[in-house]
Amino acid sequence: MFGIAFLSPLFLIGALAAAVPILLHLFHRKTDVVIDFPSISLLTKAPVQNHRRRQLRELILLLLRVAALILLAVSFARPYAAGAAAPMSAVVTVVALDTSMSLSAPGQFARAQQAASQAVASAPASNAVALITFADSATVAVPPTSDRGAVQAAIAAAAAGAGGTRFRTALASASEVLGTREGNVVIVTDLQQAGWDAIDEGGIPDGVAVQVMAIAAPAGNVAVTSAMRRAGEVIATVQNYGPDETKAAVRLVVDGKELTHATVMMAPYAAADLDLRGSLGEASVAQVVVDDPIGYQPDNTRYVVLDSSPAIAIAALVADPTGTTGGLYLERALTVVNEGRDFAVTVADGRVLSKWTTAEMSRHAALVILGTRTLDRAGRELVKTYLAGGGQVLLTLGPDVDPGTIGDVIGIDLGVSPAPVRSPGATLVPADSRHPIFRPFLIPSGALGDVQVDQHRRLTDQAGRTVLARLTGGDAVLTEQTVGQGRLLVFGSDLDNQWSRFPLQPSFVPFAVETARYLTQGRSPRQEWTLPDVPAGAPMAPGIVTAGEGATTRRMVVNVDVRESSLAATSAEDFAKAIARTPRSDQGEPVNAAREVEDRQRWWQIGLLVMLAALAGEALVGRRAA
Amino acid sequence: MAGEARYLDPAIVARLGTIDLKARTIVEGFLTGLHRSPYKGFSVEFAEYRQYLPGDDLATLDWKVYARSDRHFVKKYEEETNLTCHLLLDVSGSMGYGSGAVTKLQYGSYLTGALAYLMNRQRDAFGLVAFDDKVSTLLPASARAGHLRVVLLALERLKLGARTNVAKPLHDLAAAVRKRGLVVLVSDLLDDPRTVLDGLKHFRYRGTDVVVFHILDPDELKFPFEQSARFRDMETAAEVMAVPSAVRAEYIERMQAMIAHYRRELGLVGIDYCLLDTSQPLELGLMAYLMTRRRVL
Repeated sequence: MFGIAFLSPLFLIGALAAAVPILLHLFHRKTDVVIDFPSISLLTKAPVQNHRRRQLRELILLLLRVAALILLAVSFARPYAAGAAAPMSAVVTVVALDTSMSLSAPGQFARAQQAASQAVASAPASNAVALITFADSATVAVPPTSDRGAVQAAIAAAAAGAGGTRFRTALASASEVLGTREGNVVIVTDLQQAGWDAIDEGGIPDGVAVQVMAIAAPAGNVAVTSAMRRAGEVIATVQNYGPDETKAAVRLVVDGKELTHATVMMAPYAAADLDLRGSLGEASVAQVVVDDPIGYQPDNTRYVVLDSSPAIAIAALVADPTGTTGGLYLERALTVVNEGRDFAVTVADGRVLSKWTTAEMSRHAALVILGTRTLDRAGRELVKTYLAGGGQVLLTLGPDVDPGTIGDVIGIDLGVSPAPVRSPGATLVPADSRHPIFRPFLIPSGALGDVQVDQHRRLTDQAGRTVLARLTGGDAVLTEQTVGQGRLLVFGSDLDNQWSRFPLQPSFVPFAVETARYLTQGRSPRQEWTLPDVPAGAPMAPGIVTAGEGATTRRMVVNVDVRESSLAATSAEDFAKAIARTPRSDQGEPVNAAREVEDRQRWWQIGLLVMLAALAGEALVGRRAA
Repeated sequence: MAGEARYLDPAIVARLGTIDLKARTIVEGFLTGLHRSPYKGFSVEFAEYRQYLPGDDLATLDWKVYARSDRHFVKKYEEETNLTCHLLLDVSGSMGYGSGAVTKLQYGSYLTGALAYLMNRQRDAFGLVAFDDKVSTLLPASARAGHLRVVLLALERLKLGARTNVAKPLHDLAAAVRKRGLVVLVSDLLDDPRTVLDGLKHFRYRGTDVVVFHILDPDELKFPFEQSARFRDMETAAEVMAVPSAVRAEYIERMQAMIAHYRRELGLVGIDYCLLDTSQPLELGLMAYLMTRRRVL
C-alpha cells in the first residue's frame, strides 16, 4: 500500500545506463594484465598497491558511478511516496461530503458521515478514493489515495458549518480531482434546493457516474432571518420552515446577558416579527436567539449592529430646488435604504453649490448632477476640481443640464448631442449584467425591461469610455470613464421623471442605491456581512468581528445566509438532471493529486543532491586511485 | 659467439634434440674452448703429479721426474681422482618461469646434464636428485657405464613440481650421504633463505663440498615490466597488483640483497655460489664446477 511511485516513470529507462559502468568494470577486469611471476615474495613487501585494496576501491568507484546514474534517472522520474497519492492509472472514487448549514441539525451530520464512510468502504478495492468537503467552497480533504484509513479519518474529522450549499462548486472540484482518470463521484448531501442558486460554474465529465446519498432534512427548522435596531428596540423576524405549527422562544442577548425574551407561535412555513425591547444602553452588538432543538443550529442566532455608522454624504446638484423637480426621486430612493442610515443626501442648486468651499465639496463622497443651469463659473470650477481630484460624479443628461456648458463643468468634451433624441418605448439593457450596479437585477433577470426612456441625449463613442447599459435602440445610456483621478458616470437621460418614467419603476430604488454604493464604495465601512462574504481576515463563521484599534475600533457582524435555512430539497432525479456534463476533451490539464504530492515532497531534489555527492565521492576516490 | 662456443648459448642449446645431445654439445664445446684457456690441463686424459707425501705408495713414484728434477712426485691415476657428486635440481613451480628462450628449469636441466656428461668423462660417480617440496626423482650416484644415459633420460622427463622446499631434500640427502663428495645444487632458491642455508650447512658439517648454482631469469633480476599488472605467484597463486615503475627500484634492491645474503652466508661456510641468469652461457656453470672440483681434489 505504501511504496514509491513515479510521476514520469519512463525516465527510469535511463537507469539502464547504470549497466555501462558495470560492463566497463567487468570488461576492464577481463583485460587486466596478469603476469605469472616467481619472485612475488619480494613484491609483497614493496610499496605497491594491494590488489584487494584496489579491488575494493574499484568496487566503491563502480558503486558510486552506478548510484549516480540511477539517482539521475530516478530523480527525473519524479519519485514520491505512493502511500500519499494513488497512481495516475488508478480508478478514483470521489466522495463529496456536504458540510453546509443544512446538515447541521442534531444527528444529521453524523448520518452524513456514516453514509460517506459507507461509500468509501463500498468502493472497489482497486479504486483510489478521494474526499471533498463542500459548502460555499469545496476543499480537497484527501487527494486520491489508496490509504482508506486516511479518508475515514478525514470523514470523522469533518463537521457541518454555517456555509451555504454550492453544488456546482463541489462538482467542479470533483472534476478537477478526477482529471483525466476514470472514476465515479458519490455526493453525500441533503439535496438543499438553494444549492443550485449560486451563480457559479461546474460540471462532471461525460461518462463519470454520479451517485447521490441523500441525507434527510430535519422535521422542522426555525431561524431568525432578520434583526435590526429601531430606536430602543430590536425588530426581529423569525421564520418557521417546517410543515408543522411551531412555538418558539426568542431571546435578545447583549454581551452574553439576556435582555428580554418572547414566545411566538408560527404557522407552518410562516414568519413572525417580534419587537424585542430592552435597555440596549451603549451596547454596539446584540444577538437574537431562537430556541430550535431540531432544526439547523447556526441560523438560530442572528447578530445585529446597534450603533450604526454615519451616513455617507452625497450631494445632488439641481437646477432649482424649489422647482417642480430637483432630485426628489433620487433623494427619496437613497434615504429610504436602511432608514436613511446609509446615505445623507444634500440637494443644492447651482447658486448654493457655487458658494461651497473645496473642503465642503470634498466632504461629499459623491456628486449627482441633475441640473446645471444655475451653476456659475465658480461652481463649474468647483465641480471640475472635485472630479479631477478624485471625486465620484454621476452626471445625468436631462433637460436641466445645458449641453453647451457641460464641458466646462466636468473638464472634458463628452461628445453629447445637443438635441435630445426621442426614443419612445426604449428600455435599458445592461451591457454586463455582472456589473455591481446591475447585480440586483440578475435574479430575476429582465427587471430593467420595465424601464422606459422616452428621450435621451446621444453619447458618441469615445476611447476610455465603458458602456454599462444601452437602450434597446443601441444608444449608450449609461457609461463610465475616468476623469483625472475621479470617476464619471453618465446617464443619458434624466432621473427626475421628465424624459423617463424610470423613477416611478420598482427597479429605480435598487438602481439608485447600487449606483450610489458603487460610487461611494470604500467610503463607509460595511457593518453587516452575510456568509460567505466576511471581512478581511475574519473566520468563515457567523459572529461578531472587531476591527481597528482604539478610537477607530468598530464591530461588525457576520450572519448566515438564510436561504440555507429552507428545508426544501430537490429530488435525486432532479439533482442528476441539473448536473452539467462536460466533454472529456474539454477537460484542461488535470490537477494531478500525485503531482501535488510530488511537488510537496520534492524528492527529486534530494536525489540530485545525493547524485552530486556520489559524483564528488567518485572524483575523490578516483583521484586517489590514480 | 663463434664455432663450437655458440653451443653454450642456452637459446641455441634449447633448439637441439635430446638432453644427451645437448649435454654432449655443451661439454665438448666447453672443452674445446679450454684448450685455449688458462685452465688447460684439466682434461680427464691428463695425469696429474703430486708431491710425494709420507705414506704414499712408492709404486706411484715417477722416477723419471725424480731423475730430471731431483724431486719426488707421485703420478695420480684417473681412477684415483674419482669423485662422488650429487646433482640436486630444483623442479618447483617457480622454476617454470622463463622470459626468454628457456625456462629456469630448462636452463637448470641443461646445466645438470652438462655437468653429468662432464663428470662421466672424468669418471666421477654422479647421481641425480630432483625435488620440489619433496624428492621427485632420485638416482643414486654411480660411475657405471650407462649411468649417464639414465641420468640424462631422467632429466629429459622432469616435470614441474609444486612449491619449493629446498631444506627438506637437503637434510634428507645430507643424512643419506655417507661418503664425502660434492653436492651441486641447481635452484632459484626462492625459499626461506634461513632454511636453505641450514640445509646446505648440513652438508658442510658432514664434510661434503657444495656448489650452488643460483638460477634466475633476467626478469627477476631487472624487473623490466612497464605496464601495471597483477603479478601472480607461480606456486601459491597469490596476487599482487603492482605498478612496475613504482616498485622496480625497491624490488631490485631486495633481490640484490637476497643474492648478497646468499653469497655472503654461503661463502662463510665454504660453499661456492654461482649466480646464473638464464640468458648467460652455460660455460660459466661448468667453469664454476671445475674450479670447485679442483679445490675439492
